[in-house]
Formats: sequence, structure tokens, C-alpha cells
Amino acid sequence: MKYRYLSYLAAVLSIILSLTACNEDDDGLTIAPKNELQNDVIKRTLGPNLVGLNIEFAYAMAIPKSLGKLVSAQVEASIGGAESTYLDNKSYYTNGSGQDIGIQVGSVSVNEGAKTTVTFTKDTTAATLRYFYRIPTAARGKEVTFKFSANASNGQTVTYAMGPYKIAEMDMVLDLDVKDSTAAYISIADMAVYSPAEAATKADKIDLVYLYRSIPNITFNHALVAPSNKDYLPGVKLPAGVSRTAKINKVWALRDFHLARLQFGVYIDDLDFQQLDITNSPDYAINMRAEAGAWVETADGKYRAYIYMNSVNNGTKSAKISMKRYTLK
Amino acid sequence: MLKNIRFIGAVILTSMALFACKEDFPVDEDGLLITSRTQCYVSNFELLGSDFQTVRTKNAVIDTTALTVNVEVFYGTDLKNIYPQFSLVTDAKLEPKITGKVDFSDLANPKKYTVISGNRQVKKTYTVTVTVQKP
Repeated sequence: MKYRYLSYLAAVLSIILSLTACNEDDDGLTIAPKNELQNDVIKRTLGPNLVGLNIEFAYAMAIPKSLGKLVSAQVEASIGGAESTYLDNKSYYTNGSGQDIGIQVGSVSVNEGAKTTVTFTKDTTAATLRYFYRIPTAARGKEVTFKFSANASNGQTVTYAMGPYKIAEMDMVLDLDVKDSTAAYISIADMAVYSPAEAATKADKIDLVYLYRSIPNITFNHALVAPSNKDYLPGVKLPAGVSRTAKINKVWALRDFHLARLQFGVYIDDLDFQQLDITNSPDYAINMRAEAGAWVETADGKYRAYIYMNSVNNGTKSAKISMKRYTLK
Repeated sequence: MLKNIRFIGAVILTSMALFACKEDFPVDEDGLLITSRTQCYVSNFELLGSDFQTVRTKNAVIDTTALTVNVEVFYGTDLKNIYPQFSLVTDAKLEPKITGKVDFSDLANPKKYTVISGNRQVKKTYTVTVTVQKP
């Protein structure tokens, strides 16, 4: 009897032990350090890649002191960046106040074709260099890839491939000043604002008229109206030939990060323009407030745009607008 | 003894089957619960423009006796693209259903919406009259 209990107890204990036994060999936390030159890259910019803007990367490289030091770092893009493309020759750290402090570790970067190189001038075993790729017009609608590489004094080379990144088709223009009656004629095709005299010479390109009216009993204020709609252009004498229509769809709180440059991480991309359907929209938008916007489609169906109101000024009857524009195929 | 147990078991099973309650929650064709409520009215009314901001100049006037909703909208409101929002009394539903933008541009022929009470027996048709602010 006693023996039976003992064997039962032993069986139960062994089951409990096997269930609770933990395997400490493979916890995934301990990594054996590699004794060689290593590198890593992160992309710092978010959102769609627009021609004229930067794509920013942080390129980190390090080698154990016993093996040597860093000699050079270079980035090669599949499509050469615009003139202001550069690899920072400073390595940054963040101080106690949260500011990035740069320490110069190499010579100013040199662009040779699509390749950007920094040669280290200080004895450095570890550095993080920032790479700013200014998107060239040649890359519009294409994909760009990047090859980061670093050389060490012991002859070792490491490389890190990034991408491909799609470059957006759309264009962008920031901070156009519009003013009632003087700088009031907006052309989506030219992405520009014209005076009445200029508008008369480009009548076929004027899509919108900006106006400010303070009318008793109603809220008119800042407005974007197609020249075709005379009802919402009170007191406006259009220049000769300016008569195009447009579809305008008012939007509130779509604060695109590129256009608004505010804290909101919202981006309008090519896809938004491709899928936009504003066929039932009117040809005017009145009472536009700061931080509001409007989708616009031109009468010929060639362009779709998003116009964002950065700021408005009732006193001077003016506003600051920014625009993203997509050309339909 | 065994026979007795079997007999008792059979009796218990039968009684359970007889007393089992059927949870009867009637639902209508939309899968909405039909209740005993007979109230049937609109408690609030809102109109939103294509930018999802209100286009009302002031609160809508809802007359639950005359069955009318009168609402004034801002000058320049795009009446073809408006999202109406009805708040109804508990358990009531609306007919026709609002599934998206509604065209209110035909001001001469006001739109009609029917409120159906919780018990689905009382129906009241409201007329929504939109007027545009004038300068």
C-alpha cells in the first residue's frame, strides 16, 4: 500500500516538474557580439516621396577598436539625387535637453554621379551619419533603391541595401499668397497665382478665383470659386476670357503634413488623387477657414489638386495657400 | 432499483423539456429588436456638409405634432451633397434609411422620412423643409 502511494507521488511530481521546467538555453535575449565591421540603416522620413523633398536615412557603422577604424562611408542611389543630396559628415548624439548635437568626424561629402562619399578624418570606430537624398525630377513615378556601404582600415567592407522606394507622381507648391482682387486668379496647371492682368493673358489656365467678402447676414468670408459660377463671385469683374469651370469639394481637418507642416501625420498620396470622385461636387467653396482645404478637379479633367488654407486674414482680405497636384494620365 | 433510476431519469428529462423556456426576442426584417415601446418621434436633427461640418445656421425646429422639421442652412451650402442625421426615440427606426449623401436641392418638394416606433405599430411621416439663408 505504502509503496503504491510512493510511486503515485513520484509520478505526479515528475509530471509537475516536466510541465514547469523552463528552457533557459534559447531565450533569444543573449546575442554573441560579432567581432567585425557592422552597419545598419533606418529611414527617418515618413509619407510619400515627393520630387524636391528629401528622403532622410541614418546610417550607423561600427568596428571593434582592436580591428581598426572607419575609413569611409558611401551611399549609392539607383537614380542620382538632385544637387543638394548629401551625406552628413557629423555623427550625432542627443544631449540631456533632447537636442541633437553633431560632432564632425569626416570631410564634407562628395557627390560623384549617384554616389555620395564621406571620408573619415578623425579616428572613429563608430558613427551614425545622416543621408539626405534630394529627390530629382528624373525619379518622378519611378522606384529608387539605395546601397549604403562602409570601409574600415583593416580592409573590411559592409553594405546595406534599402528600398525600393516609390517616388510620387504629384507636384507640390507651398505658401502661395492670394489676395482679394489683386492676386486672386489660381491656375492649377501652372500651380501659380496671377493678377487680373496676367490672368487675361492666361485665361485658359485659370481654374479658381479667390475672394473675400463680408456680407451682412451670411457667412461668405474666404472663398474659392470657379470663374464659371457668377452667383458666388459678387462684385468680381473677371478678366476677358476667364470662364473655366471646376469641381470643388470642401474638406475640413485634412491637414496634410507636407502642406500644413503641423503636428498631424496625415499625408495625401497619389492614390488619394487616383481614387478621388468629386463628379457631383459644385464649382464653388465659400467660408473657407484656416486649416480647411478643398479637392479640385479641373474642367478638362487633366489635373486633380488639393488646396490647403495655411492661414487666412480677414483684415487684409488675403490667405496663404499650399497645393498638391496630380496629373491624370 | 435500476428500473427506478431509469424511470426517475425519464421523468426529469421530460419535465425539463416541458419547462424549458424559449427565449422569445422578436426581430424585424432589419434584425432590429421589436419592443413594446409605442413612442414615435424625432428628438434631434442635424445636417452635415461634404466636409462633415454642420450646415445649419441654428437648431432645427422639430414639431412632433405637425410632424415637421424646419431647418435653415448657410448661404452657399452645397444642397446636393448633404448628410442628414436623425436622432429618434429609443427603439424607433427610420424609413427610408439614410445610407450616405442625400440631395436636398429640390427645395420645392421637401423630403419625407417616416419614423417607426419600437413595437413597429406606430408610423409617423415627418416632412423636412430646408431653407437657405439669404443675404
